[in-house]
Amino acid sequence: MTALVYQSVRKTFGQTVALESFDLTLKPGELVSLLGPSGCGKTTALRIAAGFEKADLGSVSVNGSDITHLPAHRRNMGMVFQSYSLFPNLSVGENVEFGLRTRKVNKAERQKRVGETLELVQLSALMNRFPHQLSGGQQQRVALARALAVQPEVLLLDEPLSALDAKVRATLRDEIRRIQTELGITTLFVTHDQEEALAISDRVGVMSNGRLEQLASPVEVYRHPSSAFVARFVGSMNEFPATVLGRDSLRVAGSVVTVPTMSGSRDGASVLLLVRPEDVSITQGNPKPDRRPEGQLAGTVTAIAFQGASTVVSVRLDGLDRPVAVHLTGAAATPAIGERVSANIDSARAVCEPVGSV
Amino acid sequence: MNRDRVLRFVGRIEPAVFVILCALFFVLPLLAMGRFAFQKIPMIRLGSSTLFDGWTLEGVRRPLGNSDFQKALRLSVQLALATVSLTLALMLPTTLWVHLRLPKARPFVEFLTVLPYVIPPIALVAGVLPLKPYARWFLDSNYSLMPFYVIFAMPFTFRALDAGIQALDVKTLVDASRSLGAGWGHTVRRVLIPNLRSAIISASFLTAAVVLGEYTMARVLLKRTLPAFMAEYQGREPQGGMALALAALVLTTALFAMLSLLTRPRGNRKSKPIMLAAPVTEPTA
Amino acid sequence: MTAIDRSSGGRAQQATPVGSPLATSARPPRSWAWVGLAPLLIFLGLFLVVPSFSVFLKSLRANDGSFGFTALGNAFSGQNLDAFKFSVWLSAIAALVGVVAGGLLAYAATTIRRPRWLRSLIIAFSGVAANLGGIPLAFAFIALLGRQGLLTKILSGGFGFELYATSFKLDSTWGLTVVYSYFNIPLMVLITLPAIDGLKVAWREACANLGGTSFTFWRRVGVPVLFPSLLGGFLLLFANSFSAYATAAALTQKSLIVPLRIGFYLRGDISANEDQLGFSLATWMILIMTVCMGLYWFLRKRAERWQQ
Repeated sequence: MTALVYQSVRKTFGQTVALESFDLTLKPGELVSLLGPSGCGKTTALRIAAGFEKADLGSVSVNGSDITHLPAHRRNMGMVFQSYSLFPNLSVGENVEFGLRTRKVNKAERQKRVGETLELVQLSALMNRFPHQLSGGQQQRVALARALAVQPEVLLLDEPLSALDAKVRATLRDEIRRIQTELGITTLFVTHDQEEALAISDRVGVMSNGRLEQLASPVEVYRHPSSAFVARFVGSMNEFPATVLGRDSLRVAGSVVTVPTMSGSRDGASVLLLVRPEDVSITQGNPKPDRRPEGQLAGTVTAIAFQGASTVVSVRLDGLDRPVAVHLTGAAATPAIGERVSANIDSARAVCEPVGSV
Repeated sequence: MNRDRVLRFVGRIEPAVFVILCALFFVLPLLAMGRFAFQKIPMIRLGSSTLFDGWTLEGVRRPLGNSDFQKALRLSVQLALATVSLTLALMLPTTLWVHLRLPKARPFVEFLTVLPYVIPPIALVAGVLPLKPYARWFLDSNYSLMPFYVIFAMPFTFRALDAGIQALDVKTLVDASRSLGAGWGHTVRRVLIPNLRSAIISASFLTAAVVLGEYTMARVLLKRTLPAFMAEYQGREPQGGMALALAALVLTTALFAMLSLLTRPRGNRKSKPIMLAAPVTEPTA
Repeated sequence: MTAIDRSSGGRAQQATPVGSPLATSARPPRSWAWVGLAPLLIFLGLFLVVPSFSVFLKSLRANDGSFGFTALGNAFSGQNLDAFKFSVWLSAIAALVGVVAGGLLAYAATTIRRPRWLRSLIIAFSGVAANLGGIPLAFAFIALLGRQGLLTKILSGGFGFELYATSFKLDSTWGLTVVYSYFNIPLMVLITLPAIDGLKVAWREACANLGGTSFTFWRRVGVPVLFPSLLGGFLLLFANSFSAYATAAALTQKSLIVPLRIGFYLRGDISANEDQLGFSLATWMILIMTVCMGLYWFLRKRAERWQQ
């Protein structure tokens, strides 16, 4: 049984192609995030599901029935907008019951459902307040309650946290996830903030230029990005130019490193080695070249940035132009600027990309 | 499905039809004026056959040669220039002062500048008449109209200058200028005024329009300004009066069209009627 | 437009210029800054407050020197009462026509996408037309709808409809309403456009998403949110129409409305000794305007609360 299915959806705005051939299937009860930079098409995809945009080609169906040509007000989706979507002249309670009134639900039932939904978002006390008396976070929670009150088949969230302060964002994000799992409602969540996407999703769809680059679990997307774009967009990446030496062997900055290479790469081909900062470790001291174990690269510390939970150390490796960022956490000793260190790449976590696949 | 399509089509047509009807309503009177002023055929004889006969500019030429007209025109223009100067001299420093020194007083000042609406021109001039014996030296001069015109224009001018200053973040500019060593005179001359140019132009045009069209006060105080002349002249020379009135309308329109162009928002911002959206009481009353 | 300048709210206390004598004072120099408002206050006092006061005083003081409120009461009798009734009725009708037509025109300006210059044209024209009036406008309508008017002729020649066979007169309620609409409609457009712009797209979409049609939106969100602006517009147009003098003066010799009667009293056209009544009329007029503008101001502040 499928909850929400996009099939070969294509959408252009004039000359720009917003969505190329978009396929996505959401399983019932799962939360899928569409993640990507602005202009990648994620919001367009969401709005096509809501009915605010019409697909040029392809179809959208919910629980088996095709809704591609159904007007927006006849679909049964709940939507939460980025900001300022609460009706200013209606109280919180009246906002939440709006969808119930259009569906001609009787008064007693309406009051019951409004009460329940407000309880769910923990805002029962504010039922008679008006939107302009609420904070940003409270407004979005009311918007969520309003969308859920009609018990929709799918919940659509269009960057609901972007307009909020950082602290509020984190708490509300977790609350959304909690409510979503509690109700078991299929949810499509659009965001440009990868931390959000990784934290709450069952699956993450990374998009770029109208195309879905990778659709997988958060861990998978982070640890095994399927393309250089995904690798760079999700989390941060160090990049080293390298040469293929043989099977699973690369020469980087004068040293030989063991990294799974792509099958079929020719010896001598130029590649890019992508490593996350937390997958590089440094040891102080500078062993002599002949006694350097395999996979270690020598370099000098150029900068230290203390970030609270972690410290980012920039190391300029011998033979490479760009400095490498290294994450140190916890008890690891912080080297001094100018000190000589050895960097060790965790080869299991590194990714190898042919040059030109930017 | 079909019903939705038909409804949407109708929904698209009716605003257009309505706009066209409005356009007709606003253009027809002007056409009628033009025909009356410039076509020498009386209405009774006007028909499809005589539609293009008798068009002449005589209607406009006659008043132009009239010496009374020339005097009235000169007076109105002088009054306009003087009023604009007085308005700027009063309102520009005051508005700047409020923004830089007394931001909390801004709502109060805004309220003050709206007061002129509450006292319509006819009531104001009624209050001026009894004061005549006390200020004869002042009220006898033609220029006694000036301060009252400043007051009539005050809501517009304050709004225009205020909006311009707000859009500018004057505080930061002034602080930057002063931190670089400029004195107040220098700051005002070289930093503030050039940046407020469009607001100042707006305020000036609006004031000029008010002065050139004001009739009530001029009539009661027996000053022979342009509108007063026009009203009287129309009784004597209907065509000439009409031609003058049309010229006045066309000129005012041109003035404001220029103003709109000069103060057009740069870039992609949706055009907003900032400068001209002052609540108005019939300004030419 | 009247958003409180939040950024400078607290900084007024630190803005002492370097060269001023108070640069070294620790206390914020607040009290002396009000001196800067003196020119404006003096100006308004002299040319606005004093004449208004004199109107009020003169309405209390009869020609024989006695003081009393009788004239103020007499202002509501006889022909003056008729003038008040006519003025109120005319202003209400003219305001209503202006609100409906102007509101619809503003809405059309917002919704019509093509051609793209239409919106700017409507705004520019409204800016011009809202300030037109008085003599030229009256003449224009005489040329159009007078007994020898162009439209009158077209209606009789082309459609066989004799305009003046009906009870139509340019100085009747409907005649004046038509003329006043020429500046009332654009004025309403200027006031309403920002309010309509303030109707956020998200509200429309949220309403559709929750199952509401266009009609539902307007009934439950759109019109209620716009209502303060619409009511404010009505009040403003009412005040505008009530106080109009020049346009009416050019259209009629009779003194049908309050402003005209004030003018007649002032020139001694009605009765040489009755100018006290003129001042009474003026006083009442000021009162009515105060109430109107006060309500308008209040409504505008409320409407702005929703235009975050």
